[in-house]
Amino acid sequence: MLGESHLNLVPPLVESGDVEGLAKAGQTLSLAWSPLNPSLAIFVTSTTPSDEHSLKPDSNDDQPIYFAGLDSVPSSERRLFITDTLIIFAAFQNLMKAAKQQEPDWLQSDQSLEVMRKLAIDYVNFIKECWIHASQPLLRRPEGPLQFSSEHYRSLYTCFSLFVVLYLAEPGYEDAPVGDELMEWLNTHFIEPSTEEGDHLSSLEHPWEDETFWPYLTRATLRGLSKASIFFLGILSRHPSEDLQALTKTLLPLIESQPRLQNFTAERDFAYASRRWSDKVKALRIEMDRVPEDNRYDAFDNWWDRLSDIVGILEGRAEVIKRVCGELGSDWKEVCAAWGVFVDVRLRRQDLPDVVSQVLDILPPDPTHLEDMIHAALFAGEPLKVLEHTSQLDPWLSAHLADIMEPLSLIEANLDEELSLRDFHILKYADYLHSDPALWRITVDYMYSCGEIGKLQADEILLRVPLRLREQIESNGRIQSGGIVGVLKDVNQTCLQYQRELVRRTVAAQTMIQEKDYGLAVPYCISAEDWPGMGRVVDRVLEEYISSGSTAFAKYASAIAPSVQELRNRPSRQGIFAHRLLFAVRYAHFHQLREEQEFQDAALDLLAIFSEDLAPKSWWAVLLCDSVPLLQHGPSLLFASASASELLRKLEEIFVRTSQGAGDEYLSVLMRTMHGSGEKEALEQLKLVRLALARYFARCTSR
Amino acid sequence: MIQTGLIQNAHNDLVTDASYDFYGLRLATCSLDQRIKVWHMHESNGTWAVEDDWKAHDAPVSRLSWAHPEFGSVIASSSFDRTVKVWEQVSPLGQPDSSQQLNGSGSSSQSQPPNSRWVERAVLTDARGTVRAVEFAPHHFGLKFAAIASDNQLRIYECLEQPSLTTWQLSEELDVQSLPSFAPPSAHSRSHTVALATPTQTNATLDAPSASLVTQALQQGIQQNVSGAPQAPTRSGTGNREADGGWCISWCKDRYWGELIAVGCGVNGIVKVIQLSPSRRPTAVLTLDPAPAPETAQASSAPEAQATDADHATAAPPAFAITSVAWAPSCGRSYHLIATGGRDGRVRIWRVKPGDDLDREEEEEEGKWTASVVADFDQHKSAVGRVEWNITGTVLSSAGNDGRIRLWKATSGNVWRPAGSLGVEQAVETEVPESKDVDMEA
Repeated sequence: MLGESHLNLVPPLVESGDVEGLAKAGQTLSLAWSPLNPSLAIFVTSTTPSDEHSLKPDSNDDQPIYFAGLDSVPSSERRLFITDTLIIFAAFQNLMKAAKQQEPDWLQSDQSLEVMRKLAIDYVNFIKECWIHASQPLLRRPEGPLQFSSEHYRSLYTCFSLFVVLYLAEPGYEDAPVGDELMEWLNTHFIEPSTEEGDHLSSLEHPWEDETFWPYLTRATLRGLSKASIFFLGILSRHPSEDLQALTKTLLPLIESQPRLQNFTAERDFAYASRRWSDKVKALRIEMDRVPEDNRYDAFDNWWDRLSDIVGILEGRAEVIKRVCGELGSDWKEVCAAWGVFVDVRLRRQDLPDVVSQVLDILPPDPTHLEDMIHAALFAGEPLKVLEHTSQLDPWLSAHLADIMEPLSLIEANLDEELSLRDFHILKYADYLHSDPALWRITVDYMYSCGEIGKLQADEILLRVPLRLREQIESNGRIQSGGIVGVLKDVNQTCLQYQRELVRRTVAAQTMIQEKDYGLAVPYCISAEDWPGMGRVVDRVLEEYISSGSTAFAKYASAIAPSVQELRNRPSRQGIFAHRLLFAVRYAHFHQLREEQEFQDAALDLLAIFSEDLAPKSWWAVLLCDSVPLLQHGPSLLFASASASELLRKLEEIFVRTSQGAGDEYLSVLMRTMHGSGEKEALEQLKLVRLALARYFARCTSR
Repeated sequence: MIQTGLIQNAHNDLVTDASYDFYGLRLATCSLDQRIKVWHMHESNGTWAVEDDWKAHDAPVSRLSWAHPEFGSVIASSSFDRTVKVWEQVSPLGQPDSSQQLNGSGSSSQSQPPNSRWVERAVLTDARGTVRAVEFAPHHFGLKFAAIASDNQLRIYECLEQPSLTTWQLSEELDVQSLPSFAPPSAHSRSHTVALATPTQTNATLDAPSASLVTQALQQGIQQNVSGAPQAPTRSGTGNREADGGWCISWCKDRYWGELIAVGCGVNGIVKVIQLSPSRRPTAVLTLDPAPAPETAQASSAPEAQATDADHATAAPPAFAITSVAWAPSCGRSYHLIATGGRDGRVRIWRVKPGDDLDREEEEEEGKWTASVVADFDQHKSAVGRVEWNITGTVLSSAGNDGRIRLWKATSGNVWRPAGSLGVEQAVETEVPESKDVDMEA
């Protein structure tokens, strides 16, 4: 699906094959990767970055930006296929998780192998259903055209089911002969001879006069299709040759009685029965050889040679089978399957590669046909090649095969911290899934099933899932307090599920800041021990004062107030940031008191903020300005004269340091609350404080 | 691969950079036309619409970088007008900050959504050359960015007052070429080469002793400069250097290794990996030099060989400028991958092993970073202008003057291979594209 391909973007800018066209015009392409999905933005830029390039405002040249994705977004039936097979994948991961709690060899136990086999068969059945669905005419598929052809799903079906036959035998039967199972697989997926041929022949009066008769009968025998063989051998009882009639009378029961493994409880009995049966076939051969040369022809053919081939197959003559398969136009698969049924009835899975290599020398697989290459690699017991070819056919297949191959020890498990082969293929599939950002849940499900590398890749994806908070607010009014909904909730759950706390907190804090939900953001930062992050949130809260005034500020700050307690309970408080948090909360409290006209308490609070050294220097001026209404409070004197002196001391420090050029440090916040005023205006403002203080002292002494 | 979209006409002149925001839902573009545009993707149909558009600089904009979203919607732009600017998107509801100059409106005649504006928060004018690249540091290091200019100075700016974004401190300013590099015994010859190949004269020719005065003058005269007037006489002769050179940066995305940045600078064809630390002067912990060949380098930069003409010396045959460097997100790997693209037409991938300097004493072979080239591709057969990694560091893309974008991926055996390409050539099947051509001309 990926491979080395080339895509020409439209509209084109140069002629086909004109490699230098752009460069001659002093232009070249450049790009940017999208974090949303594996896609690129591509633009035309200048080959020589320089400011000498003249502006050309009249230029009619378009300056396009192209967008291209590495994969087509899964759609239609493919999407269903992806989401449904995820369920089986998840069940498989649960098994792997369970295995971690058990003894190391638990996975190799019959019990676990049985579960693995069952899940693998689930995959096969599911692919089969998908194939059937995809094979239906368009009318019956309301969702529209397919993204992948039914042929594609058929390929997946043959490959996966062959994998199960060869590598996931029923527990206890791993060492049993495999011939019958292979033949069954072949007969399921590559039906020969065709039913039409059979129908055609059976409709004829003298079918042996038809040129397809003997090939049909030979193939039916080769495929172990005893019913078809018996039917047409029965017809031969009408054949004019008495010799042939006699021979078929002997052959018929032989075909009927060929021992099948499944009918025996012990392989020893099967082997014994097979040997006795072979003896009977040999007797038939002797009988055949007695037919005189002259009697071996009918009006159309040398029936004897034809029958000899069939008997040769039953005798298990390798050269006959190979030759016949060649003549019938069948391939190496058929030879291998027949091998296990006739040549070596006790052929075991582990012996198969030897047979395959012999056969492939004569009948090689089709290198242009991926499915065939995959079959060959499976037969030959070469899991690495299997994965190589399957990943070209469909990353889905290589990922899910590799996932099963690892616990079966067909491929090596995770070595150190580098990427295992299983993870490589899983991540390749995950990359493909990521082509649709909406599939992020499935994408990270696969990635988190991997080792460290995959997990950290998943983190990157998860961190970038667009949270769409704005749309949510539009539809829901606002984010429900304390609770979170929608995508954010999903991201949260995913993080919890895979224990990606750091991601969860980062995402959450990011969100809270965006939403000004500082009351949630601060606890998140504290729990993540992200002190600079908390500092940033507090800064934002303080910024609310500057931009929106004290009422808004007090509201936001009261939301973060509970965190102060939380921070106290922590042994290692993070000095400066905790300090800042405390200041924001206390300062908000002060405003609240003032609003509630609790002037005495407000005054005490203000003094405490100074005396406890909570206020950053840049805020002193603002605090002092806040003191003016309190100083001017009519009914009573709110400050002790010593406290008022303290305020005066701070005020003087500001004046002195500002005159020494440190105005930025002391006045920046005040200047910003005064919206763009300069140092001069700020100082004017502070002079009012000085005046208020002077009057206050006067009132103190006059009492 | 499949084309998923198109913006027919993004700018009035060649686009110089495009940069996605953290989520990939917005795309900022800049151009020789001195403007920045911010595009927004409609998630329903994947089409892009311009959200904001403003004149950002007095010369072509060279690069853009988005800050991490935890700092808000913030973009830094670097320009040939020798400045870096910091822009913040504000919504009129959130920030009734009337004192600031709003850039979204007024300057553009196009109709656009009125609900967002980009405010110029800071203009940083320290560079004494055109600023070629700017990139925000990974967010865990705070709100800071690096910028590289054609004066060969790497500058690191740190935001002091975060919510307001107005005060930026120039926390580091270093001459990349004369930066003392670490000299671990194992890589002796290499670092030796570098030391010799970085004559300070380079700097001297570029910026005469009175450089700051000159640049001040230049900055005032920049308008004329841009409109095509000849450059100030003091800078004559540097034109070639500017054209042949490359200035690029890329931060290490990982937190674990501290603040690291890969920097390519000038025409010497090497990339330095610089470690920034609050406790000591920045040092180059590693030099990525594809042609360490000590003999040649030493000969060309030997004192008797044209020491007066540093430009000529450094432009000796083997040196081709690195135009682009990209540090891959390490995503759990035990090593780093750094990709470089250069005027020699090569795309290289360096596998960089960090030194285990955590438990070691200062005196020992601390910080023994090592690097090896794990891929060296010449398929572009012409200068490479850009290399960039995807977010998981698994696919590298490169852009060359052959008019192709090429992709590179590692096999399961960790061998890097070509993984496809993109171009803008007329497709061979003619029917459909031709009709589109007609549309274009119409």
